[in-house]
Amino acid sequence: MGLIEQQTIAEALVRARSDLAQRLGVDEQQITEGLVEQAEFPDAALGAPIEDEMSAQVITPGWRIHLKANGKTYEYRANARQLRLFNFNGKNYRV
Amino acid sequence: MTRNNIWVHLTIALALVLIAAFAGGVRHWKKASRNASQVASHPERKPDDPQLNANEPDDAENAEVLVRFRSGTTRETIDRITSQFNDDVEDRIESVDGLDVIEDEDGNSAAEVVAQYRALPEVEYAEANSKITLDHEDAGRKHVHADDEMFFRQWGLSNTGENGGKAGADISAMRAWAVTRGSDQVVVAVLDSGVDYTHPDLVNNIWTRPEIIKAYQDDDLTSDGPVDDLHGFNVVDDNDDPMDNNGHGTHCAGIIGAEGGNGIGIAGVNWNVKIMPLRFMDGDGAGTTKDAIEAINYVIDRKRAGVNVRIISASWGSTTRSRALEDVIRKAHEEGILFVAAAGNASSDNDQTPHYPSSYNLGNVVSVAALNRNDQLASFSNYGAKSVHVAAPGEEILSTWLEHSFSEKKGTSMATPFVAGVAALILSQNPKMSVDDLRAKLLKSVDPVPSLKGRVTSGGRINAAKAVGAE
Repeated sequence: MGLIEQQTIAEALVRARSDLAQRLGVDEQQITEGLVEQAEFPDAALGAPIEDEMSAQVITPGWRIHLKANGKTYEYRANARQLRLFNFNGKNYRV
Repeated sequence: MTRNNIWVHLTIALALVLIAAFAGGVRHWKKASRNASQVASHPERKPDDPQLNANEPDDAENAEVLVRFRSGTTRETIDRITSQFNDDVEDRIESVDGLDVIEDEDGNSAAEVVAQYRALPEVEYAEANSKITLDHEDAGRKHVHADDEMFFRQWGLSNTGENGGKAGADISAMRAWAVTRGSDQVVVAVLDSGVDYTHPDLVNNIWTRPEIIKAYQDDDLTSDGPVDDLHGFNVVDDNDDPMDNNGHGTHCAGIIGAEGGNGIGIAGVNWNVKIMPLRFMDGDGAGTTKDAIEAINYVIDRKRAGVNVRIISASWGSTTRSRALEDVIRKAHEEGILFVAAAGNASSDNDQTPHYPSSYNLGNVVSVAALNRNDQLASFSNYGAKSVHVAAPGEEILSTWLEHSFSEKKGTSMATPFVAGVAALILSQNPKMSVDDLRAKLLKSVDPVPSLKGRVTSGGRINAAKAVGAE
């Protein structure tokens, strides 16, 4: 993994932890990192389109970032351009 | 060399010069003398060899360009310009005002000469005289080879079996080009993240609003008055600049209409066409249904204003159904506009889980699945025996990208502009063809592909050659 990719993931992790802490109303210290893996998503919305969103139908490389809190696992999806929360209580979010 | 030999050589040279002068006129004297020397240095080639004449320009050394000077430019001005560049007006194309064939005499490349002329205010356009190769090796059928430097990587246009692919698993573009390479009278709207309209391989095929067409005005969007939509429209920012900052739209535009035969980059399905850039998706490649509707509304408005925009290429979508989006695409049908849409990349059956806008059951919608270079349905591609209509190349697709570069991408996004491009080729031959006939022609001219049986309604891969009657 290249330096730029490592930086992208590191930045995405910081943003994702902050976002999840806010959504759950918990301290960031209570959030632990799970698996971070490379992935190919089916579209430019990283396979996590928000309501009323259309996206380019191009295979888009990125990362799945799993975070754990309160005994549950949450999936964030990231690439160099964007960060999304996948299927959080049935909905996707652009962070 | 003996004295006798000298006389023999002088006599032959004189004879060649005289033949050239009488055959081509004094105007072509310099070129004829050069050809004579080329024939002499390549004794295995004969000047009456049809293969030689078809495969090589009649001047292999000097660059030739096609330059159209703006209306009102006098012959004196044209002569002064060409003289300043030490160029020769080789021919005047009488049927098109101001169009000249110009030959460079200084050893510049065609690209350099084109750049010289394009920089002049008197010049409407300048393009390289592309090298066209016709041969009869393909089972007696003519085909045209593009000289674009990365054409060999464009398996979707011509698959020779390289990189483990299947020879012939392509859209038969080279045979189609023997019949038509497109027309600048056909406008294709690329409804996407915008288009880099300055890309060197696209710039000559970007639509420009003719002066006789009024600037676009939508009171709800453009409260400050008309938008000077010189090269399309940006719905994201409601302005006149559809520049792409994602790359996706530029990629799709290149598949439809990167300038072919110009010696650089790639060839589009159409060598000549007009791309209308529309930006409704942002830098992330995402946009709203409302902005998609606004962009289609723009296309319909321009069509009604007199622009010959007959095709919308839509490499985007979602699983959310919108009645409003369906309504505006139906309206586009009434206006004679074909709507080519990506089937989606979820590896799923659109008959069971529809993907929009490709799944709208409308008479102008063509839903497109993606193939790999082995004629297999791409692993990611959606399909649908009832709702997906055709397939086209969609993996390892090289096309234009941001910062004047080129990039390979995969997705039904890439398959869609192949189909839009073939539709444009058909219209270049039959400008008046109705949208229903155009759609029927596309679907009837496919190559049956076993992997597509029961996966798409036509059961086949799009075939440009069949679509334009080349086979």
